[in-house]
Amino acid sequence: MRRYRPIVVGGISLAIAAVIFIVPFLFIALQAVKSRSEASRLNFLLPKEWLLWDNLVAVVEARNYQLLLAYFNSTVITVFSVTILVVLSAMVGYVMQRRRSRWNGVVQVAVLIGLMMPPAVVPTIGLLQSIGLFKTMSGMVLIQVAYNLSFSTLLYRSFIGTIPRDLDEAALIDGAKPWQIFFRVVMPLLKPVTVTNIVVQSIAIFNDFTNPLYYLPGKENVTVQLTLYNFQSMYSSQYNLLFMNILLVTIPPLIVFIFFNRQIVAGMTAGGVKG
Amino acid sequence: MSGVQLKDIRKSFGALEIIKGIDLDVRPGEFVVFVGPSGCGKSTLLRMIAGLEDVTSGVLTIGGKDVTYAEPSQRGIAMVFQSYALYPHMTVAENIGFGLSLAGRPKAEIAAKVKEAAGSLQLTHLLDRKPKALSGGQRQRVAIGRAIVRNPQVFLFDEPLSNLDASLRAQMRLEITDLHKKLGATMIYVTHDQVEAMTMADKIVVLNGGKIEQVGRPMDLYNKPATPFVAGFIGSPKMNLYTGAVAEGLGCKTYGIRPEDLTLSSERGRWSGKIRHVERLGADALVYFKVEGLGDMVARTLGSATFLPGDTVWATPIPGAERHFDS
Amino acid sequence: MVEAVRPKRKSPYPLWFFLPAAVIYGVFFLLPTATSFWYSLTRWDLMTAEFIGLENFHQFFSEPFLVQGLINTLIYAAMTSGLKTVFGLLLAVLLTSNLIARGFLRTVVFFPVLVSTIGIGITFTVMMHPTRGIINVALEATGIDGPGWLTDPALALFSVALVDLWKGVGLATLIFIAGLAAISPDYYEASRIDGATRMQQFRRITLPLVQPATITVITLSLIGGLRSFDLIWAMTRGGPGFSSDVVASVIYKQYQAGFYGLSTAGNVILFALIAAIMVPLTAMFNRREIDQ
Repeated sequence: MRRYRPIVVGGISLAIAAVIFIVPFLFIALQAVKSRSEASRLNFLLPKEWLLWDNLVAVVEARNYQLLLAYFNSTVITVFSVTILVVLSAMVGYVMQRRRSRWNGVVQVAVLIGLMMPPAVVPTIGLLQSIGLFKTMSGMVLIQVAYNLSFSTLLYRSFIGTIPRDLDEAALIDGAKPWQIFFRVVMPLLKPVTVTNIVVQSIAIFNDFTNPLYYLPGKENVTVQLTLYNFQSMYSSQYNLLFMNILLVTIPPLIVFIFFNRQIVAGMTAGGVKG
Repeated sequence: MSGVQLKDIRKSFGALEIIKGIDLDVRPGEFVVFVGPSGCGKSTLLRMIAGLEDVTSGVLTIGGKDVTYAEPSQRGIAMVFQSYALYPHMTVAENIGFGLSLAGRPKAEIAAKVKEAAGSLQLTHLLDRKPKALSGGQRQRVAIGRAIVRNPQVFLFDEPLSNLDASLRAQMRLEITDLHKKLGATMIYVTHDQVEAMTMADKIVVLNGGKIEQVGRPMDLYNKPATPFVAGFIGSPKMNLYTGAVAEGLGCKTYGIRPEDLTLSSERGRWSGKIRHVERLGADALVYFKVEGLGDMVARTLGSATFLPGDTVWATPIPGAERHFDS
Repeated sequence: MVEAVRPKRKSPYPLWFFLPAAVIYGVFFLLPTATSFWYSLTRWDLMTAEFIGLENFHQFFSEPFLVQGLINTLIYAAMTSGLKTVFGLLLAVLLTSNLIARGFLRTVVFFPVLVSTIGIGITFTVMMHPTRGIINVALEATGIDGPGWLTDPALALFSVALVDLWKGVGLATLIFIAGLAAISPDYYEASRIDGATRMQQFRRITLPLVQPATITVITLSLIGGLRSFDLIWAMTRGGPGFSSDVVASVIYKQYQAGFYGLSTAGNVILFALIAAIMVPLTAMFNRREIDQ
């Protein structure tokens, strides 16, 4: 009996987990390839005609190819934000970990505030307006950097703790200036955590809905999540297109997940477990 | 107190057999040491006796009862782990009393038994501390206390001293030996350190590659090793061993002579060679030299000897101390 | 005699490394947060601000639909945090035991964490439709009358919390798996010799020793729950009525309505709420930490 338990419990768990976690995705995929009338029935019957391509085209073409623009915008925001984020937070994490300074306490508190506290949205809008960055991509990038600095810095700080100081000192003896020590000795050694950081932050920023909602309203700078949100009202009766849109929005994280599974797991647990 | 019998005990992982037929009789009250190099299977064998690893075939009896497939808690054993496995979130008292508390014994009984065990190990003043506030030696005693309180038929020790520094190890060796004398309990002890084996055991079991090489009293293993492996394992520094043509010339497959069984002279002897180093240990000195046609040789002599590297030295075996092995 | 002056040793870790991050963080996060305290005391239209004292806060605590938002936030945070902690640990124990398809299950449980919240919200809204949604259709097939998950005011918040659990439990599970892996198997072996049952092992070894992970999960999910907006907005817009409004959605609604001062007051309240809950909680957790 003891030998069979793993298989029995495994089988039951598999079945339950499958139903709970996979069914919604099957539902999305299924409705996305149906015709309008079939999709409106919202059931699990297989489609009579497979309209994968047609639906895809319809969604992409909608509102003057808004989806493509959205993809472009989301990608640009993500790429720029993550790049700036990685460099800046690594610098902070590095000095925080290495240097014994009175500022460390202040920085620590600042990081904690960033992790816990909600941003004050309306004052931020006011600020952005006054410097002319409201409803702009640059403004959005700066916002994303500011909001994600805390988590990113934390990741770097704990990881840099595992790089021995000896390396810094050896470089110093070799004549390296401080910024050279960081960019040429330490940064390259941070590759694993940088990869993880990039992956985790990219997914978070790409999936972000709230911040573009507040700071990037309007058609010109629309992001992928906003497009999906707007589609909901536009396609209230065209479930097939709605779900095709959802499917398209789900694909990038899926791809990233398949390739960077290990890094994502490492990043989430590193940031999560106290360290 | 109970004895332990192993009859043709084997263990395989799939097609790989790692314990290859062990027959052993541990008498009640005996202190038996399993010793051998890394990977020889000594820890695995101990864990099989404990019930933490499955037996693939064979029969294991403790106190006459067949416990081959019994649960660890049903075997009348207690174990001291290499890492001590002290629960970090419990006090010393709670650690020692854990088993009793699991069995639902009344609090008064647990307290009394814990006090008794702690008293016998000088732990009474530490009962309210957590493991992280204890020294290595103290932690070990708590682990032993936890074992004692179970009133086991057999005590199992899995390399308990390897996490301690050298001076502490010497002290704990004595404490464990004293404990054995006091309790008269059957104890099975695993180590890779032949010094622990020689000094603590009533009986040593030398294991190699999942099989028993030799079983016997410490001095018997020292004086009459059955195989070159045992000869090279017991005794420090290692016995000088020679194989091949050289050994055949001396009438056996492997020829052995212990460094302490060689007499050195600067004028005459059976073998000669140029000295490569001399290690001065105070009371003794070890002389390393190479003999033409034989190989490297180590000899032990008085610390006051005046040999120097580069000198030529002669070595002669003490009569009766030469070992000839057929393997 | 002139003594050589020893120059002050410069640290190879320059403080100016803090600067770029500090500027962006300070301007775009800290500054608005600081000014929000002022603006919450005003009637504001982004150009002029008229000081009205604590009137915004008074409104928050008297208008029923605003008070509801506050209460809902606390309920929602407590629910999601509690559920994620419990189910996360149970799943982690399941997924670290000897099971077939363990790796596959871990992937499947974790994937929802990475997916667009809006997408999930829309999908479940459709699935939870009272008459045509597949959940109620399936329930009907077994004879149970499915409730109005998102249409019944008493249920709406709870339904969204369930979806939040579905989406977020994977992360909790992940953190717990890491925490469980850090527990040395020696402890379990020693307890086996002492005759511990599985339940005893779980209660007296696993639970105490997985505490760091538990603290992390509770902290993260509580903060997330208090600030939650995306899912609730996508599924109910705070409705029906305002039965599923939370402070975050109230902030947005007041912003949309042009009541900027009131909206900012909401921000301040949320800030205070999180601080009031998390600071003592974190202090308590720090005191109860176990060293291994």
